[in-house]
Amino acid sequence: MNELLEKLSRCVELGKTDLLSPYPPDMKGQDGADELAKKALEEGIRPDEILEKSLIPAMEIVGDKFSRKQIYVPQMLMAAKAMNSAMKHLKPYFQSGEAKRKGKFIIGTVAGDLHDIGKNLVSMMIEGGGWEVIDLGVDVGSDKFLRTIEENPGAVVGLSALLTTTMENMRTTVTAIRERYPDAKVLVGGAPVTMEYCNKIGADFYSPDPQGAVNYLKQLAT
Amino acid sequence: MTNARFQYRFSDLNLNITQIESFMGYKDGESHETVTELLSGILAEAEEICDIRAEYHIWPVASFNDSEKSLSLDHHTFNIGRIIYGQMKRSGSVALFLCTAGREIGSKSRKEMREGDLLKGYLYDVVGSEIVEAAADLMQESLEASVAGEKRRITNRYSPGYCGWDVAEQHKLFRLIPYNFCGIRLTPSALMDPVKSVSGFIGIGEKVKRLPYTCSLCDMKDCIYRRGRR
Repeated sequence: MNELLEKLSRCVELGKTDLLSPYPPDMKGQDGADELAKKALEEGIRPDEILEKSLIPAMEIVGDKFSRKQIYVPQMLMAAKAMNSAMKHLKPYFQSGEAKRKGKFIIGTVAGDLHDIGKNLVSMMIEGGGWEVIDLGVDVGSDKFLRTIEENPGAVVGLSALLTTTMENMRTTVTAIRERYPDAKVLVGGAPVTMEYCNKIGADFYSPDPQGAVNYLKQLAT
Repeated sequence: MTNARFQYRFSDLNLNITQIESFMGYKDGESHETVTELLSGILAEAEEICDIRAEYHIWPVASFNDSEKSLSLDHHTFNIGRIIYGQMKRSGSVALFLCTAGREIGSKSRKEMREGDLLKGYLYDVVGSEIVEAAADLMQESLEASVAGEKRRITNRYSPGYCGWDVAEQHKLFRLIPYNFCGIRLTPSALMDPVKSVSGFIGIGEKVKRLPYTCSLCDMKDCIYRRGRR
């Protein structure tokens, strides 16, 4: 792999956002993901190559380490921040169509529920997996999900809930999506959600951690 | 009915960075420089931004229903589930408690997240959770001391949403406590406002006991508390 892409990958994995980021100590004073992504584009490396060969592998390592409890939520958030600082240079190319992402992913915390940490983690990991994420925020009703699917045909949908009370609103939303878009893929997650519940409400996939969702989307995209 | 009301200072809680890092999953020696630095700043700020309060009201248990795993207090029946029922069934009375870290720490967390600093937002959230749990520990110790003179003991504390007790039962619990108790209100989906608040039951009686942490009894395998205290 190109040395620059390798360095960028390492910065994302370790959460080295930019030149000013003090962490990790042995990289203090060195360029971070922000500067390296810019430099890679200036050197003529294609944006989708930066995404595929550097950012996605870095986030895969992060997701895998998190699943194996080798790192914890703070390091995952730091990695995601570094990835975002690189992505901001790539976004204009995705918007112009010059480079392509793997697909669109619509995510939201279901109606009545205001918790967003889990949802944000999944969003960031999926964005790091090369998908365009449309984050609808918290307390999202079925109508808003349906409208967004209509505006983004073929998008995969992710529903999050932290409470057993609001988890029931997942069923309402999944049912509404199934009625209007029977082929739409729907992922569910959150502390009280289980595979059994996922099957019961007719959702397509459940994962207890963000990397599981990333891996599922990876399968869908191939 | 007996009541007690507490106001705590942040320094009363004796919270330190290691405890908070341990809650997030870090084992001894694994701490992360950036995380430690940010936590140190948030803890220094906590005295100023937290309004830590707790209250309990003690109600006699009117009846137990063994087949439904429920107990009744003042004509309100609580379906507390198998796990909690097993711990509570010898209680003569129950302390209904509420405890909060106040509104500001939750607001700070949301603000940081909205502005894109997800790490700082997350850390405020975790510190808020630890503050409210530590305050609930102090309140529980006071309750334990107050009943010890009558040769009574207490159970662990149990909250709706954990150990199989449906979080919707929070609405029943709030019907039994005075309006604006601790300044906490409940949303229709049973979320408390301020978000950094806890509520629940503590059983009291001569034949009850407090157990070591009871995660192994619970069905919620991916619970954040289980992960942290493993």
